[in-house]
Amino acid sequence: MKHLSSTSSRDIRRGLVWISPWIIGFMLFFAVPAVLSAVYSVCDLSLLESPVYVGLDNYAELATDPMFKDVVRNTLVYALASVVLGSVLTLGIAVLLEQRLRGRECVRAIIFLPTLVPAVSGVIAWSWLFNPGYGLINSALRVVGITGPDWLGSRALAMPSLVLMSLWVIGGSLTVYTAALRDAPRSLYEAADLDGVSAWGRFRYVTLPMISPAVLFNSVMSLIWAMQLFAAPHIMTKGGPENSTYSYSMYVYFNAFYYGRMGYACALAWIQILATVALTVLVLRATRGVIFYRAA
Amino acid sequence: MGHEPPTPTHTLTRRAALAALGGAGLSVALWPRTPRREAGVPSGRVVLHYWEKWTGTEGDAIQSVVDQFNQSQDTIWVQRTPVSDIAAKTMTAIGGGDPPDLVGLYSYHVPLFAQTRAAMSMDEFASTPGGMASPLDPDGYAPSIRQLLSFDGKQWAGVNTCYALGLYYNRQLFRDAGLDPDRPPLTTAELDSIADRLVVPAGSGGGAGRIERAGFLPNLPTWWPYVWPIMFGGALYDAPTNRALIDQPASIAAYSWVSGYPARLGPARSAEFGNRYGRNFHSPDDPFISGKVAMIVQGPWLANFINLHAKRKHDGSGEPDLDYAAVPMPVHESVLDPQHPLGLLEADVIMIPRGCPHPEESYVFFCYLQRRDVQERLAYLHGKSSPMRDCSPGFMQTHPNRSVRVFDQVVKSKRAIVLPQTRAWQAIADLTNGAFDSIWHGSDVQQTLSVVQARAQTLLDKSAQLRARRLRSAGGA
Repeated sequence: MKHLSSTSSRDIRRGLVWISPWIIGFMLFFAVPAVLSAVYSVCDLSLLESPVYVGLDNYAELATDPMFKDVVRNTLVYALASVVLGSVLTLGIAVLLEQRLRGRECVRAIIFLPTLVPAVSGVIAWSWLFNPGYGLINSALRVVGITGPDWLGSRALAMPSLVLMSLWVIGGSLTVYTAALRDAPRSLYEAADLDGVSAWGRFRYVTLPMISPAVLFNSVMSLIWAMQLFAAPHIMTKGGPENSTYSYSMYVYFNAFYYGRMGYACALAWIQILATVALTVLVLRATRGVIFYRAA
Repeated sequence: MGHEPPTPTHTLTRRAALAALGGAGLSVALWPRTPRREAGVPSGRVVLHYWEKWTGTEGDAIQSVVDQFNQSQDTIWVQRTPVSDIAAKTMTAIGGGDPPDLVGLYSYHVPLFAQTRAAMSMDEFASTPGGMASPLDPDGYAPSIRQLLSFDGKQWAGVNTCYALGLYYNRQLFRDAGLDPDRPPLTTAELDSIADRLVVPAGSGGGAGRIERAGFLPNLPTWWPYVWPIMFGGALYDAPTNRALIDQPASIAAYSWVSGYPARLGPARSAEFGNRYGRNFHSPDDPFISGKVAMIVQGPWLANFINLHAKRKHDGSGEPDLDYAAVPMPVHESVLDPQHPLGLLEADVIMIPRGCPHPEESYVFFCYLQRRDVQERLAYLHGKSSPMRDCSPGFMQTHPNRSVRVFDQVVKSKRAIVLPQTRAWQAIADLTNGAFDSIWHGSDVQQTLSVVQARAQTLLDKSAQLRARRLRSAGGA
């Protein structure tokens, strides 16, 4: 058995000491609460009294809870729509901004700006934009003689409006795409030019494969964020109309802090995290053959 | 193999160590001994931390009461902190073992906090420190208020103003439409008829097809989607049998009546009109204050916001240029009794969380707040009626809400209805939100209410089942 030299073990000890603030923080604010929430998910707990073990009752209740089905459906619809549309839009803009266009750096900065706006402020601003009577969107439509719809008040339009709003914050993804596009080898484009490949062909057979790790990264990160949808529907629609924007995280929060059902909320939260992990693994496996990693 | 680079070694010089120690010592010496928020507290006082949800003018009102208490004695100092989302934060604070001394919640929180023993009941304060507390007189409350503060036969909360809902109507718009402003609607049928005469559709252009002004809309606001069955003589819950009553005939009649509004005005455009004002309530663009709706269901506080935000008269008096009045909410003619109006009654309450640092001192302030003169002062500043059984002479005459007698009549009415006193109520109330939306958009009333009834009953049964299991568990422990 090979023993660590005294220098190596000293280095490890020293390293652990230096990262101990992170380890302590991780243990206190993530690991311990995660374990506790797993324990509480098999308990009746209201935060106000001690937990009582109820076995798998909380998980069994999910099967008969109609609201559970609603919030799962709403969240998946939002996640799918916002991730797909967000990826297409961001990638399109990133490619466009890599062309020799005047003022592109300025445009890039403008697109990044919403990322710096606090989520709640942005959501409130959008709720005014969507206001059917006074909102900028409907006012603009009125100028051209169109009566704008009730964006957040219509069951058919409320969720698409939230998806539309999500496309506003693409600055982070755009930065990743920009870095990936600039990292694509010039030699491949030169070879494609020599072969007379069309612009679409260059994008399809050179750009896309070269930036595919970035596409995967952005998609997975967007998916994880979308699965946690909370602030926008909580502030803008309170989950309505007809529960059409009631998201999974809202339901977790309401059960935990409004209905006094922390145990049930913990069970919901564990299903949420397991579903998110499962979806992430599914995406990683499904894309295994189409993602190209270059050797370092 | 070459030499490994030497591991960098950092030595701490004596000078640097002394400087670091000196800096640390200086920081400790200069660190404030008392938090900044307690800097103005006179020495020797017990500081009570009081969380309250009110901000703005309502926050100023409770602060003036707190200030008066702080000046009235020299042993206790109450420090009020405005807290949003107060129930969630209170539950977290109590669960975390660090609750404030006093917390201001809503009357529908009483069952949860009482059943979990998260709040202290008043019979736990048999004696008060130094006889400081004014004696608490449960008979001093209006009977329905006393019911709101109690659970399982004990009082768990004190009242901190109360409210019933009423119908405000714009007298000038009545006159403009040829209606008699002294004959407001008393029944739902009269309400429908008057509302239809007050609707003004938008003209041509981009806004064509929209509603320019509404007579009355039950979705404006949607804050009390569960109130309508009460106006038809129905109830939401039967406590002795722990049964939800959401799909009873009175509820079906009530929501069928509600659905008449979108049916007459168009579901989309009536919903659009309501949503237009989603963020405008209690501001100059409030639909009632700005004259965009002629009648609205609101609490007594609206009078304060009218005084604050309505356009001023041009005569230099500075008075609001809005001729309005309020009446009890119109009810179905079969349950009309003007002497004893039907109405929903709720209250803001104050509780002493179990495990708070200073329960006895908190009780002193609690009792102070329950004095009739103090409640009247707070009610006066909030534009509300008094929650006490009797009012002091002059309270009504000088009150800033011109319709305070109407709200007082509902509060004192023997037919005042309080919300279901069950901890499952909030989840059930949220179910009625979705149901209201669905009915507004054309769903079948009976079918929608049946779904809500089934889920509500499941929640009630589950709550009872968990309570029984917890009691068995406590008994076996």
